[in-house]
Amino acid sequence: MILAALLLVTQVAVQDPRLDRLDLDTRSAVAAVVDSARVARLPIEPIIQRALEGATKGAPSTRIVAAVRRLAGDLGTARTALGTSASEAELEAAVAALRAGATPEVIAHLRAARRPPLTMALSVLADLVASGVPADSAAAAVLALAPKARDADLVEFRRAVERDIALGAPPGAATSVRLNAGALDITPNSSSSPGQLPTRRSRP
Amino acid sequence: MFEREDETVERVIQHLRRPVAIDRGLDARVMREIAQVPPEGRRVRPLWPLVAAAAVVATVLVARPWNRNAASQADTLQFVLVAPQAASVALVGDFNDWDPARSPMQTAHGGGIWATVVRLAPGRYRYAFLVNGVEWRADPNAPAAKDDEFGTPSSVITVGGRGGGS
Repeated sequence: MILAALLLVTQVAVQDPRLDRLDLDTRSAVAAVVDSARVARLPIEPIIQRALEGATKGAPSTRIVAAVRRLAGDLGTARTALGTSASEAELEAAVAALRAGATPEVIAHLRAARRPPLTMALSVLADLVASGVPADSAAAAVLALAPKARDADLVEFRRAVERDIALGAPPGAATSVRLNAGALDITPNSSSSPGQLPTRRSRP
Repeated sequence: MFEREDETVERVIQHLRRPVAIDRGLDARVMREIAQVPPEGRRVRPLWPLVAAAAVVATVLVARPWNRNAASQADTLQFVLVAPQAASVALVGDFNDWDPARSPMQTAHGGGIWATVVRLAPGRYRYAFLVNGVEWRADPNAPAAKDDEFGTPSSVITVGGRGGGS
């Protein structure tokens, strides 16, 4: 018990040196959020990165602190939806999906429908919404594809929808057409290993 | 002639029928020699097959080919921005602590095509291009970060792992 308390105090006391880039007030506020996240066993790296993003972009202190507090709260919501075994990458992607408009229930359904990691599925959901697809349409599409599609299939689906949107198709219609037309060739026994994205050296 | 041959044969037979005188200690010596020869089943075998098998098992346990870690799944990605008027471009994001000095981009032939290569482990990353040290630009070839809270554009990239259907 005493040892655990000492370890906790030690962890709280050690501040990430990267936060030195923040001014004193901002650093203290961000460090408090980081410590709370650590105690709650939430990943702290995304919080630190968000603070560093704000610092590099010259954002005012209040905006940086608000951003990291909001992120910490969303990480907690994401963890509730995904469970304690979720990875940091999955939690970050789930935060993006939540902010895009997916509900915690959708994320929980996705977790039930697909074996981990869910990072790509959640990211595709968020990216579809960012492309203009209504959140419920994007969620329905990803949930429909989730049981069998590989990560590479999901990425290709997103790209196809984005291409259609760029050509003038309404985002919701583009999503449903691509989904219903069977544009994906989801073949579990295809030659490439399941879910393995090829190592590439190209533009993202 | 036949009589002489019969006599010879008879002598040979009689010679063979005479009891052979054997040293009384012969049996003891023979049994002692036999006792000193290790039986086949009790022979001490070399340990190298066992050691080799243990080494293989240890290698597999340490390498864990069925459980590749994030580093081994890292993806090499090239980021490109066309900015003909730019004097400098830096790639900044969650993967380099948003530090412009960490990933400066290069232009190969002065044609305004700026590029850099980074290696990313599976995950979702926010990033942007910093042009001339002051101008923030999103990546036109990547999804936009919708939740930009700092008033400047950013993009996102997701590096997949081994995810697949259930």
